[in-house]
Amino acid sequence: MRRSSRETGTAYALLAPSLFGITAFLLLPIFVVVWLSLNRWNLITPAEFVGLDNVREVVADGAFRRSLVITAGFVAIVIPVQTALGLFAATLLTRGLRGSSLFRVVYVLPWICAPLVLGVVWKWILSPSDGALNALIGQRVEWLADPTLALPTVAAVTIWTQVGYVTLFFVAGLTSIPTHLLDAARIDGASPWQVFWRIKLPLLRPTTFFVLVTGIISSFQVFDSIYALTPQGGPDGVTDVVAGRIYYQAFQSRNIGQASVMALVLFVLLVVITVGQQRWFRARTTYDLSS
Amino acid sequence: MSAAQEVHGGRPRLLGPAVAYLLLAVGALVTVAPFVLSGMTAIKSPQQFAAEPVLNPPQPLTLDNFSTLFGGRYDFVSPVVVTAQVVAVILIGQIVFSVLAAYAFARLRFPGRDALFWVYLATLMVPQIVTIIPLYAMFAEAGLRNTFWGLVLPQVFGSPYGIFLLREYFRGIPEDLISAARLDGCRTHQILRYVVVPVSRPILATLTIITIVSHWNNFLWPLVITSGPTWQTLTLATANLQSQYNGNWTLVMAATTVAIVPLLVLFLTFQRHVVRSITITGFK
Amino acid sequence: MKSRALALAAALVLTAGTAACSPAADEDENKEAAGNTTVTVRIWDDQVAKAYQASFDAFTKANPDITVKINLVPFADYFTKLPLDISSGDIDDIFWLNSSPFGALADSGALMNIDEALPDEKAGWVEAAVDQYTREGVMWGVPALTDGRSVVYYNTKLVEDAGVDPANLTWSPDPAADTFLPAAEKLTKDSAGNTADQPGFDAKKVDQYAFNAANDLGAIYYNFIGSNGGEFQVEDGSFVFAEDKSAQAIQYLVDLINEQGVAPSAADTNDNGDFSRDKFLQGKMALFQSGTYNLKNVADGATFDWAIAPMLQGPTGRVSVVNSIIAAGNAKTQNRAATIKVLKWLGSTEGASFVGQSGAALPAVTDAQQSYYDFWEKQRVDTTQFGETSGSTTIEAPFGPNFLDANNAYNPIFKEIFAGRTPVPEGLQEAQDAANDAIK
Repeated sequence: MRRSSRETGTAYALLAPSLFGITAFLLLPIFVVVWLSLNRWNLITPAEFVGLDNVREVVADGAFRRSLVITAGFVAIVIPVQTALGLFAATLLTRGLRGSSLFRVVYVLPWICAPLVLGVVWKWILSPSDGALNALIGQRVEWLADPTLALPTVAAVTIWTQVGYVTLFFVAGLTSIPTHLLDAARIDGASPWQVFWRIKLPLLRPTTFFVLVTGIISSFQVFDSIYALTPQGGPDGVTDVVAGRIYYQAFQSRNIGQASVMALVLFVLLVVITVGQQRWFRARTTYDLSS
Repeated sequence: MSAAQEVHGGRPRLLGPAVAYLLLAVGALVTVAPFVLSGMTAIKSPQQFAAEPVLNPPQPLTLDNFSTLFGGRYDFVSPVVVTAQVVAVILIGQIVFSVLAAYAFARLRFPGRDALFWVYLATLMVPQIVTIIPLYAMFAEAGLRNTFWGLVLPQVFGSPYGIFLLREYFRGIPEDLISAARLDGCRTHQILRYVVVPVSRPILATLTIITIVSHWNNFLWPLVITSGPTWQTLTLATANLQSQYNGNWTLVMAATTVAIVPLLVLFLTFQRHVVRSITITGFK
Repeated sequence: MKSRALALAAALVLTAGTAACSPAADEDENKEAAGNTTVTVRIWDDQVAKAYQASFDAFTKANPDITVKINLVPFADYFTKLPLDISSGDIDDIFWLNSSPFGALADSGALMNIDEALPDEKAGWVEAAVDQYTREGVMWGVPALTDGRSVVYYNTKLVEDAGVDPANLTWSPDPAADTFLPAAEKLTKDSAGNTADQPGFDAKKVDQYAFNAANDLGAIYYNFIGSNGGEFQVEDGSFVFAEDKSAQAIQYLVDLINEQGVAPSAADTNDNGDFSRDKFLQGKMALFQSGTYNLKNVADGATFDWAIAPMLQGPTGRVSVVNSIIAAGNAKTQNRAATIKVLKWLGSTEGASFVGQSGAALPAVTDAQQSYYDFWEKQRVDTTQFGETSGSTTIEAPFGPNFLDANNAYNPIFKEIFAGRTPVPEGLQEAQDAANDAIK
């Protein structure tokens, strides 16, 4: 193992730009946000050090706690549904039916578009007086204005946007299952149902893990589509998700200190979720696909 | 892949092919309907939209909404151009710097390599909403608010995601190719140019598409860092238009159509790459 | 594979190429063009923007070294963006203000002192506007527009068919004295053609509304509060709208929407300030109470016969809020001299008359107001109701240095009240407490 200092020099030269970028725009901001969380600042008057006051206020802030609950609720609706639908669609698409690849392309279309723009499109479709959905069903339903309907509706739009993306992963996962395993099971007389539950699903664990982790992480940060569909937290604040709360706190109420605390809480929450999921899945997953 | 499909297709199923097709078709319909409906509204005249049921087809079919959109007052030309510029610069920066870094991680040995790579990976866990506030403060203090570089700088120096992706691929390049180049006297930059990059076209194409899509659609950072019509990106312009002309759905749908179409075209042209890119990113 | 890569490369080159000819790049060049200064003006009104463009074209003819650019920001976002832009230095050289953020901005030194910059111009400006925007004895902006009183725009056919006289509508919390509600019921029709006073009326399928009751401060609820003898704020700026008479007025409005169904649901109007106006223009609303700021929209957009009646009368008569808007100067502008010139133009009879001549809004420069009345006379629109001849007394617009914060605090609660989800008395108390907390 030769280590030449020239190689080191070259390596660091190659790494320099990205290292700068990551340090300046991803790592440094974390320190800055911690510092900001210890100050009271409204962007106009100079910042004032207040120590842990902001933390105290955020902990006592009912609206923030509520936004965590709302976001958790949102995730609880979106993730299971989009994962199940994605898996179901993938099973249909891996049957060798003609035109499967065309369907795959179609299902992924929403993923290509900006969530904000799709939010605006759906805002029209869901508009009570002149939207397409109410025209279709002939009823006047206040999808986005009724506090009981707003969150499920917004979740449904998110699911619509993401199912195709999830489907693709499951398609890749399903097609990478070695056929000899499936053949062996069939020869042993297993029904399609059993093959699915006993062989495919367990072997899909890496895919499922990936889909769940990335899905949960990104759903916790949902902002764009909610901003378009139900600005300012929605009717009675029922769609006031965490990212929205942080944004409004920082850039509307201009309470940078508290917004920073909230952002840190979200950060820690996401790290805990990621690490926790890794541990949970690692214990239950075999990677032996004989490949 | 086709072998697996063949085998799967041979046995009696819980759902016959007819039912499967029906379900798939319903799914496709639900997916495509909003695009079709919004497109339909975009080519309707506002008068027809107000007077007739919303689901009626456009009659007369008009492109007036688009000409209004691009005419002087709304000036949707500028956001399209700004977005294209921003994406182009970010794309070039990210690809170049990510290739450099990924090569270093994949093929060079140096102290701190693995630890540093873990640091890079760890930054993937930092959510955008967390960095938005300090970045805004930093950029505002530096006088970079509402500037082109304000839009571009945080993203242009390479992305940890891209570096991760490329490193995986670069690790798979046969050592012989690179040794041969070294023996021929190639310096690092020549190795990159003549060996690594040509061999990595598929993954680079994939990364290009992912980068274009995610930065074309970026909303939160432009929302925060820009102000006014000069530097608004396409997503921001769409949001602002909807805010200003709230009930004017024909105009707003024209804007969403403009925002969606470029990527739709890109996608349909390169759809094989896109589909592959989505699945490659998952695995390993 | 290769051709695809080439195509991608070509696309990239194309976009990079357009980078060279983008409008944004051009703009930076323009700014540095020798001797030419650009003054930027931020406003929120579409119609006035057109008039201002004409006005600034005339200004640039007279002052060739100064170009003026208009920056139109949607009203919904205007006041959230304003403080951010002021603090980061991205604010335009001149920007409109209404009374919400005015106090705080004046105190913080963000505004140009107009008494110093334009000492001799005050005499030409509307007195109410000068008073509204003088703080600590200093004038902080050039009056741009003044609102006139609220009026009722009405659809003559709908009103005639229902046999309603729009000039004599009196509302009252006391049903015996309330002549407005019966009239409104006659003017509301569902999709089956039933009017609201008929038994089969389906409030979920309203096709034609009578009135635009909504969470609208300037045109609706402030006036209703005033016409019932209620109060919104007291002298020291604290909010009192939870008191009886004001609460009655709000209750009346909420009932119009949710009980009697004669006004659109708050689900439609809470987030879309133009909903009622659009319904009126589509011929689906009979009476539309609004101000001068919608006159041009109505005149341009209505395809039916319409006219103007005085605003609704309440138990204590007709009381209207009168509000003005100023064009404030950025105290930290880089182009102070040019900015002052443009401000002077805006405050001059000549400069302000473009706004009047287009009929877009009533200028706050006294001598320029006649151009507005003349324009509308030519259009055969009777504008007397906007002025003092309508007989309505006026009440002061909301004021105070932290009104914006208070509004951010109470408005979400008001939205719930108008949506019928929060009962009026509790909601108003909660909103009042939140508003008073915000201004502490």
